[in-house]
Amino acid sequence: MTEIRISGGAVHDPANDVDGEVRDVCLKDGKVVNDVGPDARRIDARGMVVMAGGVDIHAHIAGPKVNAARKLTPDDRRDDPLDRTELLRSGSGGVVPSTFATGYRYSLLGYTTVVEAAAPPLAARHVLSELRDTPMIDKAFLILMGNNQVLFELIRASGGGDSQQLRDAIAWWLDATGGYGVKLVNPGGVERWKQDNGNVHSLDDEVTGFEVTPRQVLEAIGGAVDELGLPHPVHVHANNLGIPGNADTTLDTMRTLSGRQAHFAHLQFHAYGGRPGGQPRSRAPELLEYLGKHPEITADVGQVMFGPAVTMTADAAVSAVLRDLGADKWINQDTEVETGCGIVPYRYRAGNYVHALQWGIGLELFLLGTNPWQVMLSTDHPNGGSFLSYPKLIRLLMDRAFREDQLAGANQRAIRRTALLDGLDREYTLNEIAIITRAAPARRLGLRDKGHLGVGADADVTVYVDRPDREEMFATPRYVIKGGEVAVEEGELRRSDDGLLLSSRAAFDPDVGRVLEPLFGDRYTVAFDHYPVRDPALREPARIVEAAAR
Amino acid sequence: MAELGPFTCAGCGLLCDDVTVDDSGDSVRLAPACDLGSEWFAERRRLSAGAPAATISGEPADVESALARAAELLRGSRRPLMQGFANATVEDARAAVALADRLGALVSIRSPADAWPGAPAVPLRGASTATLGEIRDRSQVVVIWREDPETTHPRLLERLGFGDGSRSERTLAVIDNRDTATTARAGLHLSWPPARDLDALVTLHVLQRGRPAHAGDLSGLMDRISAVPHAAFVYGPGLIGGAGGQRRALALHELVRGLCHDRHVVTLELLPAPGTRSADDVLAWQSGYGTHVDFAGGHPEPVTATAPLDDVDVTLLVESAPDGAAEIALHGLPGGPDVEVWIRTAAAGVSAGGTAHRLDGVPLTLQAPQPDDAPTAAALLTRLLAEIGT
Repeated sequence: MTEIRISGGAVHDPANDVDGEVRDVCLKDGKVVNDVGPDARRIDARGMVVMAGGVDIHAHIAGPKVNAARKLTPDDRRDDPLDRTELLRSGSGGVVPSTFATGYRYSLLGYTTVVEAAAPPLAARHVLSELRDTPMIDKAFLILMGNNQVLFELIRASGGGDSQQLRDAIAWWLDATGGYGVKLVNPGGVERWKQDNGNVHSLDDEVTGFEVTPRQVLEAIGGAVDELGLPHPVHVHANNLGIPGNADTTLDTMRTLSGRQAHFAHLQFHAYGGRPGGQPRSRAPELLEYLGKHPEITADVGQVMFGPAVTMTADAAVSAVLRDLGADKWINQDTEVETGCGIVPYRYRAGNYVHALQWGIGLELFLLGTNPWQVMLSTDHPNGGSFLSYPKLIRLLMDRAFREDQLAGANQRAIRRTALLDGLDREYTLNEIAIITRAAPARRLGLRDKGHLGVGADADVTVYVDRPDREEMFATPRYVIKGGEVAVEEGELRRSDDGLLLSSRAAFDPDVGRVLEPLFGDRYTVAFDHYPVRDPALREPARIVEAAAR
Repeated sequence: MAELGPFTCAGCGLLCDDVTVDDSGDSVRLAPACDLGSEWFAERRRLSAGAPAATISGEPADVESALARAAELLRGSRRPLMQGFANATVEDARAAVALADRLGALVSIRSPADAWPGAPAVPLRGASTATLGEIRDRSQVVVIWREDPETTHPRLLERLGFGDGSRSERTLAVIDNRDTATTARAGLHLSWPPARDLDALVTLHVLQRGRPAHAGDLSGLMDRISAVPHAAFVYGPGLIGGAGGQRRALALHELVRGLCHDRHVVTLELLPAPGTRSADDVLAWQSGYGTHVDFAGGHPEPVTATAPLDDVDVTLLVESAPDGAAEIALHGLPGGPDVEVWIRTAAAGVSAGGTAHRLDGVPLTLQAPQPDDAPTAAALLTRLLAEIGT
């Protein structure tokens, strides 16, 4: 394998307390090492910034909902073709790119690891097939479990709490699918949506037909994931997304999970004051205050960016609301036993009160928080905007003058209802950007070899020219090194790499199959024995991250 | 051969995965019983025994020679077309689209006999869909619109909960002016000619919005739907095929969208072939577009208008019966005199494994209860890509 010495760059490696120190970074056999031989390739990084490869903790890049969105939005990609070359496959871009385009463009942006945040376990083969066609990046996916009827039965049988059977079932499901972690989306609410367009509105509403409540689902599955010691804690899309006043639900959800590790997805969409049906306002400061006192909880922001987006969510009731706001296109996709899905193409407009407020709340979450290790960068791609907008978002955080210029163009009535006009002069440092875009996501995912540049880390490295225009700087890295090989140089892809599948594994009693099989038989239209994915062509090459049971 | 299974039957898009096969006697029998599946399995077995590995201009040839001739044809082609995918797996489609990308080919996820281009309606407005289990467990009214699944997808009704002993409070409504095996199962049978379908869909939409309409027999159907919290429409080429199909598909999805304001309503499309869904999904994720895609410009472009088929000079049929003219065919069925190169493939689900997407999108593994030495289409296409790439 190639040996590389990245020489003379300003290294930002916050996981190892390195903040802009000029030093060499040496790579060999796919890992960061102390030193390399004299024949190693030397990359002159003087005047440049060196960080670990980016890690996206929450995006939607593969699986049936993403593919349905592609089919729904052909016109959004026609002006953004990607030509084939001797090295690369062709594709199409836009807000929901084709698989090859997704991998290439993440790589060109300096990202080397991405998490697909919401996969129906029943569709694991589809998700894995798409991820196989998403090159250049290592990738993981989270399996949807918050509306799983079989788990509801186990929770009900245990009196509403965690149980050994539930823990075994969750571990079995990860083993059966190749999933990395557990995602809860509007627990209980999606099941109610699929019944008759219903929903749950509080954590204590009963899920009709199952005698469980969202609170019990949160406690039981959150507790089980915690007990199993999965590398990534339960990943929560809380109830009442997008509804004015939902900050109460979010805080209630955080309190319910109190004492357990948990990650809250796209917190911006759950940080609203006001009353249902009325105008929202910001309650980001309250959520940040809670986070400040509860280090066991982390979040990604789900920043809204003005421009095109495609909303896609297992929380299908939310999509129906957007449909009724006049959306031209709408997809609803119900998956038996497990989940739902809604898709609506969307555009966030700076002049729109709600959109500007959402934009402002996202910035508040970034700028008012005191601990960047707790609040990570995401746009909930493509829900709040494309991952390609990350460089602009970084500039908004690092460049106060730019931010104020953008603020001036947004709906002022909305912006006045945030803290952004209160002399908020914070500008993120490069180290803080390194925290929210790689170090913190990797740590929260339990990926010990990623997100940092210490000896033994994966040789995933991004080298940026240190430009005053931070958007330009982060949009066009000079070098991206993946697995110890130069993947991007001078803004062009130099090689194609399949990337690894990242899966997690926890021990479970194989006899749990005897419990699950009859529950499957009553509900699924797929035979229990045929449900698990065993095909090596789909499951490999992979890196398995073992759980550390508590 | 003794009883085998349970395995996944790829005889139709339902991909029933609870099937056992017994061909110890004179004929193949499947359990649960399915004539279509038995016929499909028996045919694949029969063809895999004694058929040549390949033909060139109708004469038996070895696979290497046939591959070389196929590569020669494709290299010399100015306008290659890849078509078919009736029995394709996900792996076949991935390899085919990779080759099409390299060749700058036109790809169509349809059999040659299907209408061209048949622009889909979903990209215009979307759709509400569900997997089989959702419809079985929740839909109290299921409307089958001008399809005869009892013939084309023999276990569909059973899998939607209308088998023996099904709940009597559910309504199976069938719209068809033919007397079919499916209309015989209907609790509500409505009959009008196909030419009235668009008008019927529009009228139902008017009724849904609570406006007066000369509805006739449609009122009864709307009353049944309006009385339940969950309903489903099952449709396919009978409604959306042929001239005006896109308008009828749009009208159906508009109707469902309207109905969804007050209740949960979903659709299920009966696709023309078992491999259609797999291939369409692969084409969409690799290119960004479904159904018909042109790679001639060096990147994918969706084909939505009348296709530029006139200048196609080489057609490569992927896992579709070569029942017409084609330069190259990769399939289990032998090519006829109009096929320049035919290479016998292992039938996915009988003699080769693979992954397939059920008509509702659920991905499943196909097993190989009777493996043989024939290559898969995926393997052949990958070889062709390597040949042409050098």
